[in-house]
This record gives sequence, structure tokens and C-alpha cells, in this order.
Amino acid sequence: MKPRTIIMFSFLSLLLVACALLRVLITRQVDGSIALMYPDQKYLLYRVVPLIAAIIVGSGLGVSGMGLQVLLRNPLASPWILGLSSGAGFGVMVSMFLEHTYATPVIGGQSGGAIVGALLSLSLVYLLSRRRGGIDPMTMVLVGVVISVLFGAGIMILQHSVPMGLRGSFTTWLMGSLPEVEAWWKLGVFGAVTLFGIVLVSFWGPTLDAACLSDDEATSVGVNLPSIRVRLFIVSSILAAIGVMLAGPIAFVGLIAPHGARLLFGGSHRSLVVATAITGALLLVCADDIRQLIDIGSGRLPIGIVTSIIGGLVFLGLLLRNRGRI
Amino acid sequence: MRLKISDIGMRFGKLTALRGVHSGAEGGKIIAVLGPNASGKTTLLRIMAGLLSPTDGKVELDGSQVDKMTPHDRASKISWVPRIAEVSGSFTIRRVVELGRYSLGPSSHRVDDALAKLELLDRSESLWHTASAGMRQRSAFARALAQRTPGGLFVLDEPSSALDLHHLKSMGALLRQCANEGDIVVAALHDISFAMEIADAVVVLKEGQVVLDGQTNAVLTPSSLGGIYGVDLTWAVDDGGNRHLVRA
Repeated sequence: MKPRTIIMFSFLSLLLVACALLRVLITRQVDGSIALMYPDQKYLLYRVVPLIAAIIVGSGLGVSGMGLQVLLRNPLASPWILGLSSGAGFGVMVSMFLEHTYATPVIGGQSGGAIVGALLSLSLVYLLSRRRGGIDPMTMVLVGVVISVLFGAGIMILQHSVPMGLRGSFTTWLMGSLPEVEAWWKLGVFGAVTLFGIVLVSFWGPTLDAACLSDDEATSVGVNLPSIRVRLFIVSSILAAIGVMLAGPIAFVGLIAPHGARLLFGGSHRSLVVATAITGALLLVCADDIRQLIDIGSGRLPIGIVTSIIGGLVFLGLLLRNRGRI
Repeated sequence: MRLKISDIGMRFGKLTALRGVHSGAEGGKIIAVLGPNASGKTTLLRIMAGLLSPTDGKVELDGSQVDKMTPHDRASKISWVPRIAEVSGSFTIRRVVELGRYSLGPSSHRVDDALAKLELLDRSESLWHTASAGMRQRSAFARALAQRTPGGLFVLDEPSSALDLHHLKSMGALLRQCANEGDIVVAALHDISFAMEIADAVVVLKEGQVVLDGQTNAVLTPSSLGGIYGVDLTWAVDDGGNRHLVRA
């Protein structure tokens, strides 16, 4: 590993630790002022749980986005291009609708609805994108957009059918937010699966490099393209689905983290995968820090709004500064 | 090394790209594949390289069907240079050339050698997507050279379309060197003078069928090629006494 790469890894990791510490220490006092202090034991968990969730969701979404950018040969690809967000949103909406209208409890509640919706949209995208035994990247982008629009229409129909009160809670879910209370087993399972996914994709690094050649060139150097595309699709989908289950739809992390890491570490995927995971986690933890500092009179902003604003501005800045490199 | 092409047919839906193509070649030869636009040259080359399975017939390399080979076997026996190289992502020219060794194991010596032969060593740390079309074509050629196992099949689809005269001459010399080391070199070309200069044999396609197949000097004549391309051709002799086919 080159000295520059080691320095960059150390720098990013230290930054992540610093932002994580800030998340624990930032305290909004009763008079609205901000202070840095170690919280009471009873409040500590409400800070540590979202911190862990931010690291899991951020790293997973980052690597998921990077995998999809390779899979789809599209630098603007992110988990949402596969209709994951609208699929999960539709699932949540259906579970709310059933619970309220028919008083029918849905197994797993809103999380269960999100999982089923996300899996349904991903399965449809996968099945409809298959061509000659493999995934066709261009077809997948188009199918993803169509599925997204269809689930979006389904959401609007259901939103139109439920009472006003429910529409509000659904809108909040759509903004994305980190959980302050979550079962430890769930965090453990999601964390372990995310870590396993990141290690797996990192292990495929040289294959991802070769898969960035044209289809014919990649095949001629020995890449089994159908196999790596299916594997990438499955792992990217699982990582993104975990993000949706834990925090709802969080925009931009899957798009920004790979590009930010690419600018710092270059295009070689073995180090890029780990760098993207750290950058994604850093982005979400940092956004959560910023969220604690802002109160526009209606309470703290949902983290999805903060990532959208920060992500959009950072991405625009990167684009303007590095035109042609991304 | 022996290449055998038996009764190849290829259809894309209702479009027939190739019909009843037979041919063959031995190691040590350069074969130029010529023909008008949309005559099936790229399709034939992709089938030869095992990148496309034909609808009918088969291509065999020393008795092994190329589209049934494992990815590693194919990479160790067949090298491919596309007409237009594509790379998504942010890679240096060196990294792109290194990818030629993906399934054969890293070899900095082979990579440096390929970069030097294509005069890319001093630009090897430049980002691939900032390179000119000619440099990208040379990078793709260098990648295939780094991958190539002497005595294999070297397939090139219009490898010279973006090259200047200096690099065109170098490429001709490199292809001859590969053939001298036992390769079967098959290149689709539009430059008939270049084909006459480097090829031992030619295969000429028209509307998906082989219309000429044989030794370069015997097959390429003003009347035979003129009829295929629909233009009047004649011989011109340069100062060195070499004959060239030119438009009448």
C-alpha cells in the first residue's frame, strides 16, 4: 500500500472518530444553547444507538452505491436508481394503510413493510433486466426508473386514501431519520451483515477494476461478467435495504461517498471499497452532528434533509473543481 | 496452434450477420479481415475471440471450441483489441494495461514491456480518460500485449483507426513480431494498403459471407476488390517499387 493511501486512510479514520465523539458530546441545553459534555447514563444510549446506526447505514449505502456504479457503468448510479426507495416507501404505506383501515397488524410493522417493498422492487428490477442469462446494465437503469415511477404512483394512491394524520407520519418516514431506540440484536445483525458485505466487495476489488473495461474487453481478460454482476446486485441490494430498514430513505450518501473516496484514493477498488465505507459512515455521522446544531423552530431536522443539502452542495463543489475526473 | 472456423452463422433477430463462414489459419500468420461496412467483420472477430456464441457452426482453437472455454483458458490463449476501448472509472493508463494480467497473475515486467513497446511509459501515470483516441487505442493494444501468451490467437478489430503513420508502422512491426513468435494474428482492417503491407492472407466479407479467401497477393486485385466495394481501383507503384491499390 502506498504511503499516501495509508495517510489518507488514517486521516479519514481519525475524522470519523472525532465526528463520532462529537455526536456523543453535543448537548442541546434547556435554554437552547449548545454545549459539549458527557451525557447522563440514561441519555447515553439515545446518542450511541443513532451513532452506530449512522455508521452501519452510511458505510453500507456508500459501498452499495459504488457497487451499482460499477454494475451499471453509470457514475450517477445510486441505490435509489433501482426503485428501492419507492418500493420500501410503498411497503411502509401498505402496512400503515392495513393497520389503520382494517385494524390488521402487519408482521414487523413499518420495518416489515419496508423490507417486503424493497425486496419486491429489487426482485422485479432483477427479473425484468435479465438478458441471455445475465444482467443488462442499460435495461436495469430503465427498468429501475419505471419500477420507481410505478411504486411512486402506488404511494400516491394510498396516501390519497388514508386520513390526514397518517399522511404526516408517512411523510416523516420518507424524509429519513436515524433511530434513537433500536434492539441491540437488530443493530448487531445489520452491522455484521454490512461488514461482511463490505469485506466481500473489497475482496472482489480486482474483478471490479477489470469489470470497468467494456464488456468484450472485460470478458477477454477473463472476467465472468454475468457472475460478478449478479453478485454485485445481490450485495448492493442487501446493503441498501439494510439502510432503508434502519433509517428510511437517506439520499445522496450512496452517490457522494464513492465519488469522494475516488477523488482521494483513485479508481482501484481494493482500497476504494474500504475508503468508500469510511467516507459513507463519516458523511452520515457528520450530518447527524450538524443536525444536532440546527433548530429552525420545529425541532431538529430529519437527517435525510441534512444529507440532501450537504451532499448536493459537496457534490456540486466536487463536480466544479474536478470537471472530467469523476 | 491451429484455428478452424466451421460453417459459422450468426443471426440477431431477423438480421443475418454471417452465413456459412468457413476458414482456418496456422500459427505464424497474419490474416486481414476486409470488407465494406456492415459486412460482418466485427461479428466474425468477436465469435473467433469467444466473446459471442454463433447461432450455427463453431470456432475451434487446437480442437477446443472457443465459446466453451473457461474464462481463464480463453484469457490465456486469446487476446482481444477492440475498435474503441472503453473504461469507466478513474484509472491510470498503467492500471488499464495491468488489467490484461487479471486472470493470468500480475507481471510488472510484462506491463512495462508492453507500455514501452507502445511508447506509453512516460504517460503511464496519466488518467486514461484524459488520453487522446490514439493513445487509448495504444493502451488497449498494450493491455492485450501484456495479456498475450506467445503462440496464441491475437484478434484485433480495426486497431489502427486512430493511429498516426508512425504508430501505424510500429503496430505493423509488433504484429509481425507476434506472428513470428507463433501467434495467429487476425485483424479487421479498412486500410487496404496497410493490410497488403502486413497480412500473409486475407478474408474478404460481403453481406455476411466470405467472398475472397487466400494469399494476400493472389486475392487482392483491382478487379476483385473493386467489385466488392463498388469502386474502380488500380495499381500504383511507389518509389520503392511497392504496389498499392488506389482509386482509379
